[in-house]
Amino acid sequence: MDDQGCPRCKTTKYRNPSLKLMVNVCGHTLCENCVEMLFVRGSGNCVQCDTPLRKNNFRVQLFEDPTVDKEVEIRKKVLKIYNKRDFDFPSLREYNDYLEQVEDIVYNLTNNVDVENTKLKMEQYQRENRDIIQRNKAKLTREQEELEELLLLEQQSNEQRRLEVLQEEQRQLQAKRKNKQALLDELEQSQLPATILLAQHKVRASQLETQIEQQKQTVKPTSLFSTGINMRQTVSLLPVPQIEDILYHYKPLQVQTYGPTVPELEHLSRLGYLNHVRAALPQDTAGGYTSALACYRAIQDAFSGLYPEKG
Amino acid sequence: MYHNSSQRKYWIFKSEEELEQMRCKANQKFRNKTLESGKHGVTESMFLERHEEDVLFRHYERRLLDFCNAFKPAMPKSVVGTAAMYFRRFYLNNSIMEYHPRIIMLTCAYLSCKVDEFNVSSTQFVGNLLQETPAGQEMVLEQILEYELLLIQQLIFHLVVHNPYRPMEGLLIDLKTRYPVLESPESLRKSADDFLTQAAMTDAGLLFSPSQIALTAILNAASRAGLNLMSYLTECLGLKDDKEALSKMCDTMRRMKNLLKKYELPKPEEVNVYKQRLERIHAEFATSNKWKSVTLTLPGWQQPVT
Repeated sequence: MDDQGCPRCKTTKYRNPSLKLMVNVCGHTLCENCVEMLFVRGSGNCVQCDTPLRKNNFRVQLFEDPTVDKEVEIRKKVLKIYNKRDFDFPSLREYNDYLEQVEDIVYNLTNNVDVENTKLKMEQYQRENRDIIQRNKAKLTREQEELEELLLLEQQSNEQRRLEVLQEEQRQLQAKRKNKQALLDELEQSQLPATILLAQHKVRASQLETQIEQQKQTVKPTSLFSTGINMRQTVSLLPVPQIEDILYHYKPLQVQTYGPTVPELEHLSRLGYLNHVRAALPQDTAGGYTSALACYRAIQDAFSGLYPEKG
Repeated sequence: MYHNSSQRKYWIFKSEEELEQMRCKANQKFRNKTLESGKHGVTESMFLERHEEDVLFRHYERRLLDFCNAFKPAMPKSVVGTAAMYFRRFYLNNSIMEYHPRIIMLTCAYLSCKVDEFNVSSTQFVGNLLQETPAGQEMVLEQILEYELLLIQQLIFHLVVHNPYRPMEGLLIDLKTRYPVLESPESLRKSADDFLTQAAMTDAGLLFSPSQIALTAILNAASRAGLNLMSYLTECLGLKDDKEALSKMCDTMRRMKNLLKKYELPKPEEVNVYKQRLERIHAEFATSNKWKSVTLTLPGWQQPVT
């Protein structure tokens, strides 16, 4: 899992797997301790590439490969500027071209290819599309807010349900305790014999149990389907387009045998053919063979092609 | 079934003349091919004429039937019939001078065993060639495997052959059931069987359907026993109203009987003479032809079948 150590203190990472690695804008990692050490001394340069750094630029590493983290950071920044959406473009081709542009920029910045030009390009784009960027930013925040609201709602309803369940349990426990207490009191005070009291108590306890069971089973009627549509709401269903096709009409197969008609397999025994065929042994009939089959085949062969060709 | 088989579509011809024409064409084709190849010492007199080819063909056909009848384990009749039909069909489009009948005959028998599901291993098959040593048998097996694909090709891959044996059984059953006038159809069986074996040595299989051959066999046997079965034809086979069909049927049967009558046994002296000439032709020309003719030698085909 940890094939790389902190480049400064090297050993510390192996000895202490819970130690987190931090990544900065140049893409190099440093463990938490080393970050502290570096900024205690006041010098803010990366160990490997010597770029000036600020302490708050360090973020906890999420990915195993620090270059991935670096790219993610860069992408976030780029997308803050290049935030057009697919409906901003008149055609798919243009949208794809735009996306390719964005990717090129991110690639260049990540791999330190042509950084100057890329930065210039970005600034130019920012200047040109300032209002679009603003508009999209606003839209994005709005969408995010809506999502957050939904999440909040869901959380709240979950909480509520949990609380209700807890309360129900509490109530049931209390009811049981009360019942027991009542039994004890009665045993103390009443004049009736103990067995009758016990029987009464048992009846009451079972009644209580059934009550609890019923309560558990009553499902609270909801007003919402799982997809979010209200139950009262009528959803319009468009009629499915009818595909008209010619109805298939079965025509039985006609086979020309060029000979007399062969009697049906089932009629062979009735017509007396089977008297002249060797009878099937028990081991033959076990497999489904009947003498009618052999007879039928012989007759078919005898009659097939018997008539001379016409013309 | 026969009525939608490849046999009916492709291997039934109108007349004996048509068959004769095809054979002449095959003969001519071989002659032209050899003359064009420009080998030395080629003369017209070396080639076999049609009637000479015929004699040799009949001779080798008999040898094929003898081989099949002496086969151990006993070969069913349908296998023998199929082998004979393959042999006949092959030499309809090819000349004897091009492919030696000795090998083709064994290849036909071998293929027929496979197609008709009469399971014989290749070693068992060549084991039936009693005049050869085991090494000789191996060589023959190799040759058989070489020619197998060629044979299948020349049969245009139409491997299912409908023989008249089962139709004959069916007709006997029908006679017993629907024609009580005839007391014992079983007595006709032996004679009809002989008729069928004889018919296998003629071109009947290439001109008529197997059920017609079987019917002719039975009627022949009946007429030899002095019985008239024409009422069977009219009543039971539904030809009462169809005069034309009935007359055509009789015509067919007459033609078939003629074919059988015309059959001549090959005379041994003639056979020997022609055989020598055939061997000479093969020695001269066939060695180069052998490798050219087997066009699709895929390695898989060379495996002996177990």
